[in-house]
Amino acid sequence: MRVNQREDIMSEAIDDVKLAEFEARINRGEKIEPGDWMPEAYRKNLIRMISQHAHSEIVGQLPEGKWIPFAPGFRRKLTLIAKVQDEAGHGQLLYRAAETLGKSREAMIDELLTGKAKYANVFNYPTPTWADVGVIGWLVDTAAVINQTMLAQGSYGPYARAMKRICYEESFHIKQGYDAVVALAKGTSEQRQMVQEAVNRWWYPTLMMSGPPDSMSEHSVLALRWRIKTKSNEQVRQDFVDLIVPQIRALGLELPDKNCQFNSQTGHYHYTQPDWNELKRVVNGDGPCNKERLAVRRSAHEDGRWVREALAAKSARSNLARMNE
Amino acid sequence: MSVPNPPKCSPASLQMFLLALADDELVLGHRDSEWTGHAPILEEDIAFSNIAQDEIGHSLVWYSLHQDLTDATPDTMVFTRSWTKFVCSRFVEYPKGDFAYTVVRQFLFDCAELIRLKDLTRSSYTPLAQTAERIIKEEHYHRLHSQGLVERLGDATEESARRMQAAVDQAFPQSLGLFELLDCENELKTAGVFSGHTVLRSMWLDEVVPVLRGVSLKIPVVQDGAEYQLKCEPEDGGRKKLHTPHLQQLVHDLQSVHKLAPEARW
Amino acid sequence: MDTQWETFEVFHQSKRGDPHEHVGSVHAPDPQMALQLARDQFARRLKCVSLWVVRSRDITATDYQDGSFFAQVTDKSYRDPKSFDAPDKLEHP
Repeated sequence: MRVNQREDIMSEAIDDVKLAEFEARINRGEKIEPGDWMPEAYRKNLIRMISQHAHSEIVGQLPEGKWIPFAPGFRRKLTLIAKVQDEAGHGQLLYRAAETLGKSREAMIDELLTGKAKYANVFNYPTPTWADVGVIGWLVDTAAVINQTMLAQGSYGPYARAMKRICYEESFHIKQGYDAVVALAKGTSEQRQMVQEAVNRWWYPTLMMSGPPDSMSEHSVLALRWRIKTKSNEQVRQDFVDLIVPQIRALGLELPDKNCQFNSQTGHYHYTQPDWNELKRVVNGDGPCNKERLAVRRSAHEDGRWVREALAAKSARSNLARMNE
Repeated sequence: MSVPNPPKCSPASLQMFLLALADDELVLGHRDSEWTGHAPILEEDIAFSNIAQDEIGHSLVWYSLHQDLTDATPDTMVFTRSWTKFVCSRFVEYPKGDFAYTVVRQFLFDCAELIRLKDLTRSSYTPLAQTAERIIKEEHYHRLHSQGLVERLGDATEESARRMQAAVDQAFPQSLGLFELLDCENELKTAGVFSGHTVLRSMWLDEVVPVLRGVSLKIPVVQDGAEYQLKCEPEDGGRKKLHTPHLQQLVHDLQSVHKLAPEARW
Repeated sequence: MDTQWETFEVFHQSKRGDPHEHVGSVHAPDPQMALQLARDQFARRLKCVSLWVVRSRDITATDYQDGSFFAQVTDKSYRDPKSFDAPDKLEHP
C-alpha cells in the first residue's frame, strides 16, 4: 500500500469518526459552532443557503424602497423606511453568519452580481402599486417568518441566532403590512380593487417562497438530516396556507386560486400548487425584474467602490502614522 | 393654541419660520432615503435610513408646531400643498448625486441645523425652544456621522479628493441658501424668536471652514480679520418659493398615491 | 480585491449595571466608524447605554475541538456549599 493511499484511508476513518460525533451532537439538539469539524457538504450547503438568504434581504430593499417617496402618509412613510432599513440589517446579519463558515462578504456579493448566486425569487416580481407594499409586508413576510421560525431551531449556531433576531423584527413587518392592507380593504372601491389585484399578483410567488416540493430539490435530504432545516418545504408551505387563507377571506378579499378549500378530514387547506416551471424560469434569470434588480445592485457596488477604497486607505494611513509615533 | 408670554410677532411670520424648518427636513430626508439599497456599503444603507427617518420625523414635529398656529395638519401640508408654496431652500431639492455630494451636503446641513437648534433653545417662543432642546440630541449624531465621512473622504485618495472638491464646489454656494433672509427676518429677531440668519451664517462658517480646509478642500471664502468673506454668490430663492424642477417632481411623487383617494384613510 | 472593510465584534450594554453582551459584528474602516455603524445596526431598537467594538482579529478564543481546556475531572465538590453536611441547629450541652 502506498503512503498516500494509507493516509487517505486513515483520514477517511478519522472523518467517519468525526462525522459520527458531528451527527450525534446534532441529534442531541446541540449547536454546531464556527471552528467545529463539519462535513464539506454541510459547510457548502449552509454557505449557499445563508448567503442566498442574505442576497434576498438586500435585493428585497428595492421593490419596497421605491415606494418610500409615494407613501401616502407620514406614519406609512416612516414605517416603510424602517422596514427597508431592517431588511438591510438582516442582510448584514446573514452575511456575517455565512462569513463564519469561511467565505468573505466580497466573494458572496460578487456571486450575486455576476448572476452565479440566487436569491428569493419573489423579489423578481414588480411592485406596480402602493397596495403591493402592504401585501408584501403581510403575505411575503408571514411566509418568511414561518420559514425562519423553523430555521431558528436549526443546527448551525450563528444562523440560528441570526434567525431569532430576524424573526423578532419581521413580526413588526407583518403587522405593518397587514395594517396598510386593512386600510385599503376597508376603503374606497378603488382602494379595495388595488389591494385585491395585489393579492392576485403575489399569491403564487409567495407560495413559491418555501421552495419546490422536496422531491424536486437536491439539497433537501442532507438539509433535513443535518437539521439545517427541520421541516420540509411542503410542510412550511402548508403552514403558511393554513394561517393566511382565513386572514385573507376575513378581509373580504379573494384568492386567485378558486380550488383553495378547507379539508375537514385533514384539517388543512387544499390548494393548487404554483407553476414550478415558472419558478425555474424566473429564478434562472427570466423574470420581469431580474435584470433591473441586479443592475441596480451592480451600480451601487461599482459606484461606491471609490468610497470603500478611500475609507480603507485613510484607515491604513492612520494606522501607519500611529505605529510610527 | 395659547402660549404664556407669546413672542411679539405676527402669527404669519412664525408660521413661515416653522414651515421653512419643516420643508427643509422633509425634502432632505427624502434625498437621504434614496440611498437605501444604493449605498456604497451595507452598513451605510442602514446608517442613511436612520438619518432619513430622523429628518422626516423632525419635519413632522415642525409641521405639528405649525398646526398649533394654523389648524393645517402635517398631512395637509405635505400631501395637498402645491410645490409652488413650499419654502424649503433650493439646496435640499437637488438630486442625491454621488456619495461625495450627499456627504458634503449632509455635513453642511447638519452643521447649520445644530447651530440653528442651539439658537432656538433660547427662543422666546416656548414650543420652539422645547422642541429644539429635544431634537438637538439627534442632530449631534448626524453631524458626527457626516463630519466623520467628510474628514475621511476629503483627502483619502486622489479620486476621493477630486470628488469631494467637486462636491464642495457645487454644494457650498447652494448651502448658503439655508441662510437666506426671510421677509419677516427683523420682526422675528426683534421678538426674540431667533438670532437672525446673518449671525447664524457667521457661526456656521466658523464651524465648517476649518473642517473642510482640514482635509485640503478649497472653499470660496477669505479670512477678513475675525470674519469670513464669501467669494461666491449664494443660491437664494427657496424661501421666496423660487424652486427647481427637482422639487416639482418630488412633490408630484409625494402626492400621487394620496391623490387617488384624498379623503380616504391610507 | 476585498473592499468590504474588516470586521469588528460589537458588545452592547442595555442599562448601567448590566454586563456587555456580544450582539454581532460590523464591517468598518476604523474603530470610531465601527461604533457609529454598530449603533445603527444594533441599537436602533434595543435600549443601549454603552457599546464596545473590538477588531475581530484581536479576539483570542478557545478552540471547540480542544475539549481538555475545560475538563473538570478532579473532585472539586468542596466548591459547592451543598457538599457540606452542616446541621441546621446546634444542640447546647
